[in-house]
Amino acid sequence: MTQEPFITLAGVRKGYRTGSDAIPIFTALDLAIPRGDFVAIMGPSGSGKSTLLNMLAGIDVPDAGSLKVGNYRLDQMGETARSSWRAHNMGIVFQFYNLLPMLNAAENVELPLLLKPLSAGERRSRVAKVLDLVGLSGREKQYPSMMSGGQQQRVGIARAIVSDPKLLLCDEPTGDLDRKSADEVLEILALLNRTLEKTIVMVTHDPQAARSAKRTLHLDKGLFVEEKRAA
Amino acid sequence: MTFLSLARKNAWRKPLRTVLLLICIAVAFLIYALTASFLAGSQGTSAASEDVLGVMSVAGRAQPLPMAHLARIAAEPDVGAATFMTRLRGFVGSEKNVVAVSAVEPQGLMSVNGRELGLTPALIGSLDQGRDRILVGRALAEAQGWSVGQLITITAFQMVRQDGDREWRFEIAGIFEGENESTDTYFAIGRYDYVNASRAKGRDTVDVFVVRPRDGIKASTLAARIDSLFANSAAPTRTQSEKQFLEAFLRQYADIKLIVNLVTGVAFVTLLMIVINTMVFAVRERTFEIGVLKTLGVSGGRIIALVLVETFLIVAIGATIGLVLAKLATVLVGTVLGLAFSPSVLAKATAIALAVGLATGLLPAINAMRTPIIKAFRAR
Repeated sequence: MTQEPFITLAGVRKGYRTGSDAIPIFTALDLAIPRGDFVAIMGPSGSGKSTLLNMLAGIDVPDAGSLKVGNYRLDQMGETARSSWRAHNMGIVFQFYNLLPMLNAAENVELPLLLKPLSAGERRSRVAKVLDLVGLSGREKQYPSMMSGGQQQRVGIARAIVSDPKLLLCDEPTGDLDRKSADEVLEILALLNRTLEKTIVMVTHDPQAARSAKRTLHLDKGLFVEEKRAA
Repeated sequence: MTFLSLARKNAWRKPLRTVLLLICIAVAFLIYALTASFLAGSQGTSAASEDVLGVMSVAGRAQPLPMAHLARIAAEPDVGAATFMTRLRGFVGSEKNVVAVSAVEPQGLMSVNGRELGLTPALIGSLDQGRDRILVGRALAEAQGWSVGQLITITAFQMVRQDGDREWRFEIAGIFEGENESTDTYFAIGRYDYVNASRAKGRDTVDVFVVRPRDGIKASTLAARIDSLFANSAAPTRTQSEKQFLEAFLRQYADIKLIVNLVTGVAFVTLLMIVINTMVFAVRERTFEIGVLKTLGVSGGRIIALVLVETFLIVAIGATIGLVLAKLATVLVGTVLGLAFSPSVLAKATAIALAVGLATGLLPAINAMRTPIIKAFRAR
């Protein structure tokens, strides 16, 4: 029996308007990602990578077609419902980390847990666990301004997984890092996929980053034109 | 960490801006609390009774009324108690140091106005021990540095003694406190029989009759009835509550309440504009971070709450500083300036602080809530 995909896009249409001009991004995009997959999405600027990621994150919605993640039809949900869905089902890693500067590492990681009915002790315990997982034990009290880019990105990853979401979205997670830090971050992502079975969708320009994924999809002019599977 | 501590950290992320905002808010609340304390204090009318009526000559308080009016007033069935008073105004030492003695029949005053003035049977009894004895209000005693047993001399402005002298000597028999801190205690209470017997002119006349209506009787109705008793007499009356009298008295100089309201109104409108402007900019600077919070799943309602709590926190701290300073001022110079930081001043200030917090926080909060995530990310 074939397992139902974790993420399904069917006939997704999406475009933007600038003044009187309509700019189509996707006209009929189809995509299926099974649970536990690690997909890299590559493509030139303007190919629709970020739009796709925004839709998968529930930040943006398709103009037409269906978008299903797990049991949720994101295209049929309102803003409040999608906000709640994000809090409980998805983690996101940004290119520029996007940590809050007035919070230390532990507080930044704890942020998504404030949306869950957890005691302060449970929150602390989860924060300590994920910071340990990304190799930042002992740096809980450090503020973002005191950390390197690689360390900040690891805090960003810890923040994305602290709620234990099934889906992890990564927007150019190595785009602002040197090679060594980038490799460390990719290693953590691969680990999360392998051991915790997180489904990861990563948008990247970096071919080396894409090699960490199980498969790579190439997007061009709103269509997937090529698929490569890791050896 | 909690959302409250997140709001606190947001409020303090630019300490200089926050401190300047706090100073601005503190000054506005200081102005409000001082002016409101002035209104509520002995110089004002807020604490004056609306139940106790004063019957004066229609020509003004300076015109005496015949003592004979008392029997007709007391005979009114709706009058609970009535007494009379003559005011001896003068100065002690310097002419600028004006003091006043209300010459009364002590038991009568006790029955009409004893509770409001904080009079006790022991205090009233102490007046019986000598005709020249007086009770001094706490505010007057503190301002003059007087104590019980001290002999004082008041030089009257108008009331001349039979021997042609204007010097009136009194012995302080006690100090009355007033019912609460808002009660006017900047005067003394003496014996009418002593003043009446010693004065050269105006014997057996009084400046005012003080009337307490019976329970359940509307003061304004009784006031009209008393005035109608003397409407066609040689000495017609005007009856007003203590509050009405004081308000009319102060209006001779200016509408103080209106001035106070205008001053505080201007202060708060300015404050509102400054705080709204600052908060709008402070939140706009964080548009990107608000986008991040929304991406993490923080709902629009929580975003509004976060900005509102931050604003409330700043307003609450600023208001508290202003109110504490105002309280200190009333403790240090309250009796001299007639300031009373009453619970009602505190309650109104709290209500204003809540309203200011809401008014200043709502606009930036709604802006933050409505900004779409994608637009917020472009703000970087």
